[in-house]
Amino acid sequence: MKIVVLVKEVPDMESKFKIVGDAKIDESQIAFKMNAFDEYAVEAGLQLKEKFGGEVIIISSGPERVSKEIRQAFAMGADWGIQVMDSQVDEGDNYVVSAAIKKAIDSLGGVDLVLSGVQAEDDQSAVTGVMIADLMGLPHCTNVVKIEVGGDGKTMKVNRELEGGFNEVAEIAMPALLTIQSGINQPRYPTLPGIMKAKKKRLDIKKAGEIGAAELGEAGSKTKFVKMFFPVSEHKAEILTGDAKTAAKTLVDKLKNEAKVL
Amino acid sequence: MARILVVAEQRSGKLSDATLELCKAAKAIASAMGAAPAAAVFYKDDSLAKEVAKYIPEVFSVVDAKLEAYNADTYTEAVKAVVAAQDVKGVLIPHSYDGVDYAAKAALAIGAGIVSNCNKFEMQGGTLVLNRNTYNGKIQEQRSIKTDKFVVTFEKGAFDKEAAGGAGSVTAVAAAISAPRRTTKEIVAMMAGSVDISQAKIIVAGGRGTKEKDKYNDIIVNLAKKLGGEYAASRPVVDAGWTDAARQVGQSGKTVAPVLYIAAGISGAIQHVAGMKGSQCIVAINKDPEAPVFNIATYGIVGDLFEVIPAIMAELG
Ligand SMILES: Cc1cc2nc3c(=O)[nH]c(=O)nc-3n(C[C@H](O)[C@H](O)[C@H](O)COP(=O)(O)OP(=O)(O)OC[C@H]3O[C@@H](n4cnc5c(N)ncnc54)[C@H](O)[C@@H]3O)c2cc1C
Repeated sequence: MKIVVLVKEVPDMESKFKIVGDAKIDESQIAFKMNAFDEYAVEAGLQLKEKFGGEVIIISSGPERVSKEIRQAFAMGADWGIQVMDSQVDEGDNYVVSAAIKKAIDSLGGVDLVLSGVQAEDDQSAVTGVMIADLMGLPHCTNVVKIEVGGDGKTMKVNRELEGGFNEVAEIAMPALLTIQSGINQPRYPTLPGIMKAKKKRLDIKKAGEIGAAELGEAGSKTKFVKMFFPVSEHKAEILTGDAKTAAKTLVDKLKNEAKVL
Repeated sequence: MARILVVAEQRSGKLSDATLELCKAAKAIASAMGAAPAAAVFYKDDSLAKEVAKYIPEVFSVVDAKLEAYNADTYTEAVKAVVAAQDVKGVLIPHSYDGVDYAAKAALAIGAGIVSNCNKFEMQGGTLVLNRNTYNGKIQEQRSIKTDKFVVTFEKGAFDKEAAGGAGSVTAVAAAISAPRRTTKEIVAMMAGSVDISQAKIIVAGGRGTKEKDKYNDIIVNLAKKLGGEYAASRPVVDAGWTDAARQVGQSGKTVAPVLYIAAGISGAIQHVAGMKGSQCIVAINKDPEAPVFNIATYGIVGDLFEVIPAIMAELG
């Protein structure tokens, strides 16, 4: 089975965020990591490979440092990868990124399955996977929490998460694209031999032009970034100050005598 | 006149609250843009279209047996048919499980740009500008859409629900709906368990900040017991197997509304907040002063939960 897993690098959300000129976050202050939802997608891909054979190919788009997350997926067991490294892609919106990744997948000459995380932790838009599926003409399923490939290797039974603890059980023909939700598995940790091997695995670096991606940058985007800012909340909690003991004392007092909930 | 079109959402024949919220949004956006609010309803008959017409002046109804349950392929075809038949400028879709599943596909099908997961809009010199949460709710971003038509998905709760009252028109729109490539076999409940935390008066919930199973048990479970309440968790805690799924609070878990909800080591991601924002009194304990959970809490303590919770236990005696 030829499986593509899409991986994105995101900031660790516990980093200290600083906004520069209403337009971007100060990346020098940020620790980067693999999008958590993508770790589940990598694991799902590896488990399918272990069962059905074949290869797991990682595709990511982003600046040079993104090779760290790709190599992390290699260390988990993925076989090789493609990094689309082009500022013209990075400057585009979801559509530009989806169109470029679609081209990168096309360059593999046919795949059985494409997996991505359900959303990126940074932009939280949950549209890239669905766009890539549509651009490729593939059926898709989002929020997948269970995958069972049929005996024929051509159809899958998947569970799509719904609100309030329900799942839709659906059948879908392959090739297809699935966006993977957390909880589907326990992503493995890279082993030391895995990390050693990962350094030698093949990573093709591609410019947009080399894969034939033509809709680029702001011009190719369908949406336009206006600005970013820290939210101003109309409501803010009453912060109870002092050391742990003092704050705890104030809290218990407030819960008993002010909120009257204890 | 150009329409701002809400695509209605239903499960088992019941309209979602998000549909009624988007009726409100469509009216506000239409009025700001000099357009008319309308809705599209896709179902096996026109009963739901008539229902939606109580909330919005104009409803376009696509009727087909294949539309009884939601499906990405059939919904995309139906959106395309309504847009082809009517003068539609904007399409509003809930940022829900179903909405997220097809909104981007529908946007490509009608040649529109999409901005998803929005919570507010404003007009800037005649351009519709959308606000959306990024970076786990720590930063807000504004985007606009360059294409002639647009698709926007809105977060649940971004608008109040429209009240019923009107008697809008229902117009049938013909659409050739093909057999979908993904077929639904059944809908199953996954979170059945021995506890029903939705009935608890006091809930102590722990998040990823509780670090590991033993610590979660030691800190969260014990405080819950001391207070005579139930313990609960955010999703990562359940994913990691530190507690069972029946105790997960949020969009994909339980909705709770206790008298007291203590959230410890929980950042306050919107999917978690969706399940607990109705609590009467919310206490947030988090070491990050910028954690979004402080925007919904009644009382907040900025600090290490491993120091603060034992101190609360000691204070309770
Ligand atoms: C479709 C979908 C559905 C989802 N459904 C749900 C759902 O039903 N319920 C749910 O909860 N999530 C759900 N999520 C996941 C959600 O987006 C968040 O990822 C999740 O809520 C984060 O959980 P958390 O706050 O425990 O972890 P994090 O976001 O990692 O936050 C941990 C927090 O702990 C704090 N912390 C760390 N150490 C300490 C310490 N020692 N003392 C005090 N504070 C500390 C940190 O500052 C941080 O704020 C869903 C996501 C998607 C995409």
